[in-house]
Amino acid sequence: MSMFKDIPVEVGVIYEGERIRRNDMQVELGGPTVKQKFELAKVKPLDQIEDGKVVIIGSDLKDLPEGGAYPFGILIEAAGEKLDAGLEGVLERRIHGYLNYIEGFMHLNQRYDIWIRIGKKSFQKGLTSFEAIGKVLYKLFKSELPIIEKLQITFITDAAKLEQMTPAAIQDYEARDSKARGLKDAEVDTFYGCALCQSFAPSHVCVITPQRYSNCGAISWFDGKASASIDPKGPVFAIPRGEIINEEKGEFSGINEAAKKRSMGEVNKVWLYTAFDYPHTSCGCFEAVTFYIPEVDGMGVVHRSFKGATVNGLPFSTLADSTAGGRQIDGFHGMSIEYMRSTKFFAADGGWNRIVWVPKEVKEKVKEFIPKDIVDKIATEDDAKSVDELKAFLTAKQHPIVARWSAEEAPTAEAEAITINEDVAGTMMPVATAGSLPFMAGGFKIILKDAKIYANRVIIQTVKDKDKR
Amino acid sequence: MTKNVHVKIDEMKTNVGLIKNLELSIGKVVNDNYTEPMGPTPMPSVTALRDWDMKLLTKYKAFYMPDCDSCCLCTFGKCDLTAGKRGACGLTIAAQSARIVMIACAIGAACHSAHSRHLVHHLIEKYGRRFPLDIGGLNIKVEAPITRLVTGIKPETLGDLDEVLGYVEEQITQVLAVGHTGQEACDMDFDSKAFHVGMCDHVGMEVGDIAQISALGYPKADPEAPLVKLGIGSVEREKPVIMCIGHNVVPSVGIIDYAKETKVDDKIEVVGLCCTSHDMTRYYNRARIVGPISWELRFIRAGLADVVVLDEQCIRTDVAEEAAKVNAPVIAASEKNCVGFKNRTNDDTDAIVADLVSGKVQGVLILDPEKVGEVAVRVVQKVAPVRKHKNVLPTPEELVAIAKTCTQCKLCQRNCPQDYAVPPALKAAAAGDISLLTDLYEVCMGCGKCESACPQKIKIHTLIVKAGEKAMYAENNLCRVGRGAIQDTEIRNVGSPIVLGEIPGIVALVGCSNYPKGGKDVYDIAREFALRRYIVVLSGCSAMSAGSYRNEEGKTIWEEFPGGFEAGGVCNVGSCVANSHIAGAAIKVANIFAKRSLRGNYEEIADYIHNRLGAVGLAWGAYSQKAAAIAAGFWRLGVPVVVGPHGSKYRRVLLGRKEDPSNWEVLDARTGDTVNVGPTPEHLFNITETKEECIVEIAKLCMRPNDTWKGRSIKLSHYVDLSKRYLGVMPDDLHLFVRTMADVPSTLKDEFTKILAEKNWKENIIPDPTMLPRMVRKMKE
Repeated sequence: MSMFKDIPVEVGVIYEGERIRRNDMQVELGGPTVKQKFELAKVKPLDQIEDGKVVIIGSDLKDLPEGGAYPFGILIEAAGEKLDAGLEGVLERRIHGYLNYIEGFMHLNQRYDIWIRIGKKSFQKGLTSFEAIGKVLYKLFKSELPIIEKLQITFITDAAKLEQMTPAAIQDYEARDSKARGLKDAEVDTFYGCALCQSFAPSHVCVITPQRYSNCGAISWFDGKASASIDPKGPVFAIPRGEIINEEKGEFSGINEAAKKRSMGEVNKVWLYTAFDYPHTSCGCFEAVTFYIPEVDGMGVVHRSFKGATVNGLPFSTLADSTAGGRQIDGFHGMSIEYMRSTKFFAADGGWNRIVWVPKEVKEKVKEFIPKDIVDKIATEDDAKSVDELKAFLTAKQHPIVARWSAEEAPTAEAEAITINEDVAGTMMPVATAGSLPFMAGGFKIILKDAKIYANRVIIQTVKDKDKR
Repeated sequence: MTKNVHVKIDEMKTNVGLIKNLELSIGKVVNDNYTEPMGPTPMPSVTALRDWDMKLLTKYKAFYMPDCDSCCLCTFGKCDLTAGKRGACGLTIAAQSARIVMIACAIGAACHSAHSRHLVHHLIEKYGRRFPLDIGGLNIKVEAPITRLVTGIKPETLGDLDEVLGYVEEQITQVLAVGHTGQEACDMDFDSKAFHVGMCDHVGMEVGDIAQISALGYPKADPEAPLVKLGIGSVEREKPVIMCIGHNVVPSVGIIDYAKETKVDDKIEVVGLCCTSHDMTRYYNRARIVGPISWELRFIRAGLADVVVLDEQCIRTDVAEEAAKVNAPVIAASEKNCVGFKNRTNDDTDAIVADLVSGKVQGVLILDPEKVGEVAVRVVQKVAPVRKHKNVLPTPEELVAIAKTCTQCKLCQRNCPQDYAVPPALKAAAAGDISLLTDLYEVCMGCGKCESACPQKIKIHTLIVKAGEKAMYAENNLCRVGRGAIQDTEIRNVGSPIVLGEIPGIVALVGCSNYPKGGKDVYDIAREFALRRYIVVLSGCSAMSAGSYRNEEGKTIWEEFPGGFEAGGVCNVGSCVANSHIAGAAIKVANIFAKRSLRGNYEEIADYIHNRLGAVGLAWGAYSQKAAAIAAGFWRLGVPVVVGPHGSKYRRVLLGRKEDPSNWEVLDARTGDTVNVGPTPEHLFNITETKEECIVEIAKLCMRPNDTWKGRSIKLSHYVDLSKRYLGVMPDDLHLFVRTMADVPSTLKDEFTKILAEKNWKENIIPDPTMLPRMVRKMKE
């Protein structure tokens, strides 16, 4: 492989899934037994970076005794005209992918949790220095992300140095996270769209804003920004935000235009912060579905790996089927788990005050983002297995939704009706159509004498009166 | 669903009206909870999808390799069709070859459908028409994707399957009729009809499997279906052993139920060969899978079966004679395979048992599965103690003595379908060295043709089994019980990784065991792709072969990889009829991600699958007409199929011509523009001769026009890496697969840049691909 001809082992995506077992490892870097570990990307001014430089602080790979686990840090410093600190997270997550391309190199997790193993076989083949690993990273970063003009890489194995750098890195992550979460849709002038899913769901377009992750949970606004600037012709594209048409519902003229164009006019209006009327479309691979429960006028959430039926008796598979395929379905919404951490999470519908049922596993994940006064009022599968149980639970806990009930009587009459449709071909006499059926209430009498009714096929359908909000 | 309702009311007074002499006659009452709109082709006739077939057959032109160059089906013949000569009826050799393919597919489809018909009849009789279908509980919403797609019916009960099978049976008859002399003139029409009957075959298979999953309590789409023992060495040989051979589980269920009822289930061994064994383990966790179809002679000759029970399909026709040589009674249990035995179905059970135990009769035909169960279980307990003392394999000394009678005429090797070097192995054995014979044990598929050819009447296969005895008894491995369908949720889970390129493709290894070099190839191929995080799906004999080997840590493939439909997952869907779940999963992708309606909407869904879903079928050891029918069903869906070298005897392949750009044009559904998408996938049906060639071909055939650049770059990485690793070359057609520079794998940028420059490559777009003009979307105002 000419691109890596000076690297003693092979480099390619095919090594990505490679696992290295304890017996086969030369050394472990980071991992569960080691406290001091991190990987961090920083964007720096152009004049502060020496392009292509690889620094090793502490022992090099060949000097680390075989079989041990060592504290470890990786620092990527990048500079470029179009780079800004907002892209640091994006650059950082590339480290995982790139390092795993190296034959006999296993990289797991990210940030302060990294876990690396280097295989004996690769060590014996000559992968004995971080210098080579740095070169691989350098080449991949530069060829994949042309917006990086200069790149310098530092590996740290020196324990004292790590003791000082790790807490600093953790501070960096926290600052980055809080900044990212603090960023508001109304504060940026560009959103991003992703058409990757169109390869399987041709009419779906995902809109990614600072306060709304992609449905699949894989692409943040920052990721979108990075992808769009790296490959402007690629599947992730910039959407100028345009005018704010409706701040409460989350309607932006730029999104409407992009949706119309990309969906060939199927979708002309999108409200980002609501599950009703014009919700964001749902692809096929969303992480969770929000579904309206008319009996309590609230919304439930169910995630993909939830086993069994939700509170309304339907499992994920059925609920997902009700909304998937790039459609706007009133009252249903495919979304990412991350969206639940956003302050715009169904903000127009009442936000968390409207959420009445969430699986335990999801609730645990997003607990700290649920307002304190409501967190215990939202039922899980342990609290309610049916709508009746849910009503009782919400009433007992005084969930804010209960206040809505008195305002607008929660109505759910389910009427079973039978209609008989005609489905007759050729010369046969039609079946009596629904309107002319004799068994209708009223003050008149119908007499059928010597009537013959033929049908090739009679379809009896269960009809339910649908009630919306 | 109710059929033929007649209501006659002479006079009825109600408080809303008076009815006199009302007659109501309804052909069919459908309880229609199936709200999906009906598509254009419910229950398509033989020509309803002909246009779609012609699109595929024009893109992938038939290349004929007549295995037989004459026709002897009518008395005008036999007609020599070589060198452009036509038969007495006017037929060309191309059309004759296609005709035989079509007939083979019809036989295969008839086989699965008749099997399913028997299952459905039997299960309705036992559980009633209204017994509900349940193949995956809450995790499956689309219970019968193929049935919905083809027939427009959403079956809910066993009874609903009746009408579905009625459709299939009619179509098979129509297609078979076309096989008559003087019908159809063009090879493409024969091929279209082969596609049609292949599609119907998938419906037939689906019906059978969902019926048995629902009624017999099989694992329901369970990725964690249990592991069961596999291999001759896993059989507790000191216990009485009943061996069931074939594909229809019903008699085996009779045996298992009777053994349980009489509390001897832990005192006897019930083992199976071929697909019956898969279904036995789905029903009963103490059943054992002995191995693929090709282990029949091995197992019987080694004297391991105390009673042999035959159901249907792929059963050696000399089983009764072979069993007689080792004094094992035989029970034939299928109307389709009576083996010449007297029908004792209505006889007294005690009398049948007595006759078999005493050896008064060597075998019986019993068409009542419960009676089969009782007879088999009672007989095996009586005959086993007597039989166990007999050693039926030759001693080492006898082996040498027999080998010495070989004259080295080499007729055995000439008759061996694999051209194995039998004569040198016999020569060495005559000199006391059995190592070459032992090597043959590993790769021999057990057809026994060498023996038939031997003028010295040497029992060559017996000698091979003797030489491999040690290896045979060491065959103690594991197989995952057939899980059945793929869950809707599993499909949703893989959506994002497929789109993002983390899963490069879906590889289905299916079918029989006519492998060119033994089953290890199947294991190697499956493992190679699982390690690369493809989704690997297995069924039938391939699932058994894959489970017969272990990795360096001693784990079988079923222990090494998870059983889910996921990156790096290895699933066993189950027996032959469970192959329908593989096609079903592909169909569900269209329904789940794009919300494409399935009901009677075949063409649109096939177009979706063909252009988007990177799935490839491999039948490395395909031998049967059923395998041909299964393949034909995949062809019509546009899913490429690869076969091993023996597949050339299927007489024709369907090859894309990658050098012809006009072959690779699709419409961009967004704009209506014609876009050249390159040879993706390059072929619809192809043969590969070696494992190495096969692996590279599969990686290449996973590419599709809709691949995102991430997906394409990872597919290309695997294609390049596998080609270098297994064939030692850089592929020469890479430029045909690059649409934009983003498709180029990041680690191969330098090589690709050079190749693309040399080939004068031009950038192209990634369309929303379709071959159907009506799918081009119009801008809504």
